[in-house]
Amino acid sequence: MSAIRSCLIVALVFALGSLARNTLPASQDPQRRPGTQSAAPPIVGDPDKGRDLFQANCSGCHGIDAGGGDGPDIQQAPASLGDATVANIIRRGVPDTPMVGFFSIGDAGAADIVAYIRKLGSTMSSETTKGDPRKGEEIYNSSGCPACHMIAGQGGEIGPELTSIGAKRGPSNLHQRLIDPGVNLPKEGNVGDRGKWTLYLLYRAVTNDGHVTEGIRMGEDSFSIVLKDVNGNFHALYKPNLRSLEKEPLKSLMPSFKDTLSSAEMDDLVAYLVSLKGATP
Amino acid sequence: MKAAKFFLSLLLFCLCSPSKASAQDVPYKRLLHSDTEPQNWFMYGGDYQSKRFSFLKQITPQNVVNLRPAWIYQRSRPGEMIEDSPVVVDGIMYIVEPPSTVTALDARTGLAIWSWTPALPRVVKVDGYHATSRGVAVLDDMVYIGTIDCHLVALDRKTGAVRWSVTLGDNKINYGLTAAPMAIDGKIIIGPSGSEDGVRGFIDAYDAKTGKRLWRLYTVPDPGEPGSETWGGGQILGGAAWNKGSYDPELNLIYWGTGNPAPDYNGDGRPGDDLYTCSLLAINPDTGKVKWYFQYTPHDTHDWDGTQVPVLFNASLDGKPRKLLSVANRNGFYYVLDRVTGEFVAGVPFVKETYAKGLDAKGRPIVLPNTDPGTEPVLVYPSNNGGVDWVSPAYNPLSKTFFVNAREMGAYFAKSKLPDKPLVVGTGMVMGGRGNSYLSGDDSYGAIRALDVTTGKRKWEFKMQAPSWVAPLATASNLLFSADDEGDFFALDSNTGKVLWHFRTGGSFISSDTRSSPITYEVNGKQYVEAADGDTFIAFALP
Repeated sequence: MSAIRSCLIVALVFALGSLARNTLPASQDPQRRPGTQSAAPPIVGDPDKGRDLFQANCSGCHGIDAGGGDGPDIQQAPASLGDATVANIIRRGVPDTPMVGFFSIGDAGAADIVAYIRKLGSTMSSETTKGDPRKGEEIYNSSGCPACHMIAGQGGEIGPELTSIGAKRGPSNLHQRLIDPGVNLPKEGNVGDRGKWTLYLLYRAVTNDGHVTEGIRMGEDSFSIVLKDVNGNFHALYKPNLRSLEKEPLKSLMPSFKDTLSSAEMDDLVAYLVSLKGATP
Repeated sequence: MKAAKFFLSLLLFCLCSPSKASAQDVPYKRLLHSDTEPQNWFMYGGDYQSKRFSFLKQITPQNVVNLRPAWIYQRSRPGEMIEDSPVVVDGIMYIVEPPSTVTALDARTGLAIWSWTPALPRVVKVDGYHATSRGVAVLDDMVYIGTIDCHLVALDRKTGAVRWSVTLGDNKINYGLTAAPMAIDGKIIIGPSGSEDGVRGFIDAYDAKTGKRLWRLYTVPDPGEPGSETWGGGQILGGAAWNKGSYDPELNLIYWGTGNPAPDYNGDGRPGDDLYTCSLLAINPDTGKVKWYFQYTPHDTHDWDGTQVPVLFNASLDGKPRKLLSVANRNGFYYVLDRVTGEFVAGVPFVKETYAKGLDAKGRPIVLPNTDPGTEPVLVYPSNNGGVDWVSPAYNPLSKTFFVNAREMGAYFAKSKLPDKPLVVGTGMVMGGRGNSYLSGDDSYGAIRALDVTTGKRKWEFKMQAPSWVAPLATASNLLFSADDEGDFFALDSNTGKVLWHFRTGGSFISSDTRSSPITYEVNGKQYVEAADGDTFIAFALP
């Protein structure tokens, strides 16, 4: 039958399931008990079962070791948030983020995944940073980064916003992106079974009258594409009017800092980026 | 003269009063000769041959550029994605709003006339499929709908009142109805979904007037029955026949595809071909007996099913007239079979294919090594959604061209350990692995492909940004309608694949979760083309 698309959990069941939970008297609903986590009975999951479920459903975004990928590092999530909360997030998702609810995994499945993540978190300490974030901030500002990136409302809008980049990417991931900005570009979030599209992918378009536009793909369908150039200008192009439209994988509008920053400076910059955990409006 | 005036008035009355006209019966004869009434779209696939083809010619390659929305109907309730292919009879359109609400609309204006919603249990089990319906069937004065909790319901066509309702299977163990029923002479035929929980697939026929069950055909055998030897002594599970079939009234055969065996991705517990899963069954609709079968994918471990809708056509092969059918199967091969005998006639891949290097003389895939899901993921083309999933093809009998919405996409398949104990149906999904680790969207695309119907040789293709879930619709004026996954509804020249018109419907066909099957019809001399997108049903017409 139609394939199991865990990311597209059947909305009706979800809605009905939620309704069912919402209609339970508070005394029967563990989510509504006072002191939710401590009062709820401990969830005992099987990490071996959880491994399979994690790899099938979670590793695509959170990495095979839960250390982060397009989604955040969650190795320490059970330790810091509590098993029940993490299980709840697995079942229900996080609104307005690519983290959808994996309702059909069930309570037992969610508990198994939590047990596996907890095991990962205890056996693999999260990456640590060597640099000095204070120095890193100076390097960030003196290296031209703010021209393209925004942090807490300040900066340019060519590249991705970095306000909470430290909550999403680990140090080695960030280090790699500073060296090879076009490699392993992030993918979009929940797109069901279409396959995730690459974000910040560079295109080179040549119109029938020879005009060349190079820029980041902001939107595309079968008939048109919108590119954002290095100056932040949008170009809406109609595909039938193009002589050629080529992807430029591995290329990026961002320069590599491989030869312009020393190893220590790179560590400092990474440390600064890792320290960026959220918005300060 | 007076008589002529009277008849002219009567004709005008009928043409201008769709709600009155709906009182007409839709006897089986009208369904049988649907080609003579191109103004109506009588059933899911347009006709019993499932051609998704219309003889209407008002909209042409020359004027299609002027096509514009005539009306928009916004779904009346939130819910799962729309997968409906409406039925239009005498100016009334019958749509299904997910999961199982039937609404009758004035097909000229989109105004709702009546709507019926079943009382569903608080929790509906839909493991492995979506809580939606692909459409209704009409016969005589009734409309038939399969509900998501596995009831077949007959509604009064004029009011939506329930005339009868029967239960096919227990939804608590994952039986549910998503397919449009088939209405033939006095019978309603339908099969439920549910293989992902290991339910035993079947196809049922019901008396159209009373709802009395006439026969049930199980698609997989009981232990000891013929075919059970192909399961290697393991558990026999799955084979849900969850899509719609086609019908040849002269041969008195219905052609119905069956789904995957369970567990989907780990076949270790069911060594053998696993009959009659992933197969096409030719069934006598009077008895429910199988005349012949053809298995597309023996021992499926990629969740490919075999439920694709077959197109029936006649052609001359080597100077001999033949009754044939063709199927673009989810396993990536295009098949031509003799529909009298089930004999394999031809088969070629219609998408990138790494599972099999071809088909042997009997049509069996010549499977390549290292394509079975492993403990480490294995990349296979096509993905678990196949070269095409459930969306129907279209066929233009005038140009003898078969149109398929092809999915060019690979996926990583992996198997997981099976439970030590026998699987118990009803405990939940028994996938035995996964096949939904897709390649990047930038490594995939969709394409409308035009194939020579007897050989499968490609005539042209129209590439789309992503694989889409929208059936093609062909017309006698050489138009081909479909839509991409980003929400563009378009018309192509069906002889060349050249884009003639496109319209951004405002919702992405994927992000808004619509998997549309466009149709065309005519009311009061005006041709309409209908497509669903996002939360809307949109009818287009010329100004």
